[in-house]
Amino acid sequence: MAKVAMKVNGKQMSGDVEDRTLLVDFIRDTLALTGTHIGCDTSQCGACTIQLNGRAVKSCTMLAAQAEGADIMTIEGLAQGDKLHPVQQAFTECHALQCGFCTPGMIMASVGLLKDTPKPTDEEIYHGLEGNLCRCTGYINIVKAVKRASQLMAG
Amino acid sequence: MSNAARLEDRRLITGHGRFTADWQLPGQLHAAVVRSDRAHAVIERLDCAAAAKVAGVVAVLTQADIEAAGINPMPGGLSFTGKNGQAMKKPAWPVLAKSHVHFVGQAIAVVIAESASVALDAALLVQIDYRELPAVISFEDALHGGAAQLHAEVPGNLAFEYEDGDERAVANAFATAKYVSRVTAICQRLVGNPMEPRACAAAYDGATDIYTVYTPTQGINGIRNALAQIVNVAKEKVRIVAEDVGGSFGIRSPAYPEHIVCIHAAKRFSRPVKWVGSRTESFVSDNHGRALSLTVELAMNADERFLAIRFDNAADIGAYATSFGAWIGTRNLTVTMGGVYRIPAMYAQSRIAYTNATPVSVYRGAGRPDIAFAIERLVDHAAAEHGFDPVALRRKNFIPCAAMPYKTSNGTTYGCGDFAAVLDDALARADWSSFASRRSRSKGAGKLRGIGIATYLEASGGGAAPKDQVEARWDKTGNVTVYTLAHSSGQGHETTFARIVAGALGMPIERVHVREGDPDVTLVGSGTGGSRSLLGAGSACKVLAENIVGVARTYAARLLEVTESELRYASGRFETHDRSLSIADLAVRLAALTPHPFNLIGEGSFGVTFPNGCHVAEVEIDPQTGRVAVLRHTVVDDSGNVISPNLVEGQIQGGVVQGAGQVLGEQAIYDRHSGQFLSASFMDYPMPKAGIVRSFQLFEHPVPTATNALGAKGVGEAGTSGSIPAMTNAVLDALRPLGVKNIELPATPAVIWNAMARAAQAARVLEQPV
Ligand code: FES
Ligand code: FES
Repeated sequence: MAKVAMKVNGKQMSGDVEDRTLLVDFIRDTLALTGTHIGCDTSQCGACTIQLNGRAVKSCTMLAAQAEGADIMTIEGLAQGDKLHPVQQAFTECHALQCGFCTPGMIMASVGLLKDTPKPTDEEIYHGLEGNLCRCTGYINIVKAVKRASQLMAG
Repeated sequence: MSNAARLEDRRLITGHGRFTADWQLPGQLHAAVVRSDRAHAVIERLDCAAAAKVAGVVAVLTQADIEAAGINPMPGGLSFTGKNGQAMKKPAWPVLAKSHVHFVGQAIAVVIAESASVALDAALLVQIDYRELPAVISFEDALHGGAAQLHAEVPGNLAFEYEDGDERAVANAFATAKYVSRVTAICQRLVGNPMEPRACAAAYDGATDIYTVYTPTQGINGIRNALAQIVNVAKEKVRIVAEDVGGSFGIRSPAYPEHIVCIHAAKRFSRPVKWVGSRTESFVSDNHGRALSLTVELAMNADERFLAIRFDNAADIGAYATSFGAWIGTRNLTVTMGGVYRIPAMYAQSRIAYTNATPVSVYRGAGRPDIAFAIERLVDHAAAEHGFDPVALRRKNFIPCAAMPYKTSNGTTYGCGDFAAVLDDALARADWSSFASRRSRSKGAGKLRGIGIATYLEASGGGAAPKDQVEARWDKTGNVTVYTLAHSSGQGHETTFARIVAGALGMPIERVHVREGDPDVTLVGSGTGGSRSLLGAGSACKVLAENIVGVARTYAARLLEVTESELRYASGRFETHDRSLSIADLAVRLAALTPHPFNLIGEGSFGVTFPNGCHVAEVEIDPQTGRVAVLRHTVVDDSGNVISPNLVEGQIQGGVVQGAGQVLGEQAIYDRHSGQFLSASFMDYPMPKAGIVRSFQLFEHPVPTATNALGAKGVGEAGTSGSIPAMTNAVLDALRPLGVKNIELPATPAVIWNAMARAAQAARVLEQPV
């Protein structure tokens, strides 16, 4: 067991973890932030995507210990109080979620995508979301939502 | 109709949904499952001692524990008889394997421990000595003479033979036919893969003797009844708690062994027990889908009219019979085996085999996409083979609108449908007539372009319960909660059902709250499945609202001091010549009464509907790589009256893309000799990704049905039924000029490339001088 400390959604958090504990398990089990999901065991589905030091990262691909001192944002920290982030707003407006299980990861990946590519083409969106699986929507409305979010963010 | 954002979205986009793995029950223990890594073997020794000694392990449970507790085997099989009155042969499926294992992934033992990681560590220490037996992993291998036998009571692995229709009439028609065509349509074995891996938790309350089971589900009544039956307790002793469900597609409807072990352990150790499966466990132990092969023949006269259709179906249902597995290759196929066509003589026979693969059950469509795929491949193939126009051939043989209601030659009655108009609409929307110019543009770029058409018609709405009920409970502030048993796994019932009730009562939607899966309601009704929630529970919502208006009228008349007949009701208000009162205000004024007089039930038995439509797919193939791009997919659907167009569109989009997954890549691949499951991870099983379908358009062409209160038809599975044949026909249209006549799914780049290479070789052989 070792102690890890990091900033999560603007607050300093810490906890004891086994050396092998994955960051996603620390977020879900220790911090009780269950909006970050686990959809696979091969780092392919993207349901666990968070922001780590401003980059979209799959939180199942790293150990909690590797996040020592990091600045993390999970889906729970994305909205400003009652005001949704433009990507959240676009997802609901465009009906880009059905069951909602992939959604937190899809939204966090889209936030990262739009940071790098504020005005993405369809191809850039396909590429940017390659690491995120959705079984419900067929992605059509997710692609629309990313474009809509891009508009909203451009103001 | 409304396209406003869904009411359930807010919690899901902010990370506040509650899925099964999110529950933390005080004092909970954790379960880890030891699974067979052999496809077919005798268990010679099962040694749990080392695992049991690990610090933090409470117990390692085996089938001996399950049997000692008087727990029944997993349920399954068929309720009807087959050819010559035979019953299905159904060997017992033990909750945990006892002496034999029959598929890779079968549960053998379960470690119960203080933490999930301790349970997983200890599970690795369970030692099993196997004596391996030869495995059979396909229908053909299972029925082959001398094949390994799975179950002593099932000679030759043949579980069931089924037939429907008039064999002799069909034979006579074939004897007189001018044109005959035949095609084999294989729907490969698929994995449902809802994104939330399977999970459950169970708690037991000794004071009341009640089990509370947390699980993703499609409907709390079905799963409760199944669990109670297996565990051997009255169904009132089982409460199901289900909130958000991360996709389902049929996978979530039945009970699974993990439910049973958690229930048993919760009582035995007097602590809640939680199991969260990994994706690998989902791959190997969630019921699989499809695994059907349909060989179908068509007889036509000189006029290109269909005379008869004949099916020979083969279904691999895996190692054991699930509750629905054997329905798929039998009744679910034959109920609509003529599709949208007028076919005077029809006959189908099906054979069902056990194999050393994961048991099969319903997966989005469950026989409906399979029969649509076979019919529409056949019609396209027949047109190509005999030089007919595929559109004209379809149009000529459609059941005309004027013939509705139409009873098919095997006894199904379609209430309504306008197939010719739907087809014309689809061709226009898809720019069918100008395809040639797009094809030549692609050709210029070195690509092969193809266009494919498919109609579909399916039966939706049958449910297990005799009727569907919903219940309204009003609170002191005049807000209403509507309880339903039809559980959403993404369909958006909270929004659509609220729209139905709020719309009929003229209330703001914010004041109507829909609650699915409340364990403490005692309603009758079916769960979600068979594309039936809107037309079943949704119709009951409409009836509920009408009942509320009826009771409200009495109170309104009293308050407004008029007779009931003097009141007019419109958009939520009762009006006299000079005064009016809204239902919403009335609900508040009556809130002091207990129970609230508007606490009513809405119910009804709503019949089967026949949603239908036409899909047009346009694809481009890169001949260098064999890669297929779906450039455009157009759907014209008759799903009857629509309440939430954006949600319907979402259902169709999702279904179409699941169809694309089946056409272009998904497949549960087993090693033929060892029976190992080779594609059991997202690394090996190509799930559809963003961009698999580039452009999508849906147009509604509603022909409302009279069989339910809303005039709605099923929509959940329709997208899959149409897209599989349309995309396959498009791929073949692109390849046909090269001499490719049929193709086996999935049409991966390797399959396409090989088909092209074989066709080129055949052409070269033909060209050689004799
Ligand atoms: S859980 Fe992290 S990628 Fe699937
Ligand atoms: S919305 Fe269900 S997996 Fe994406």
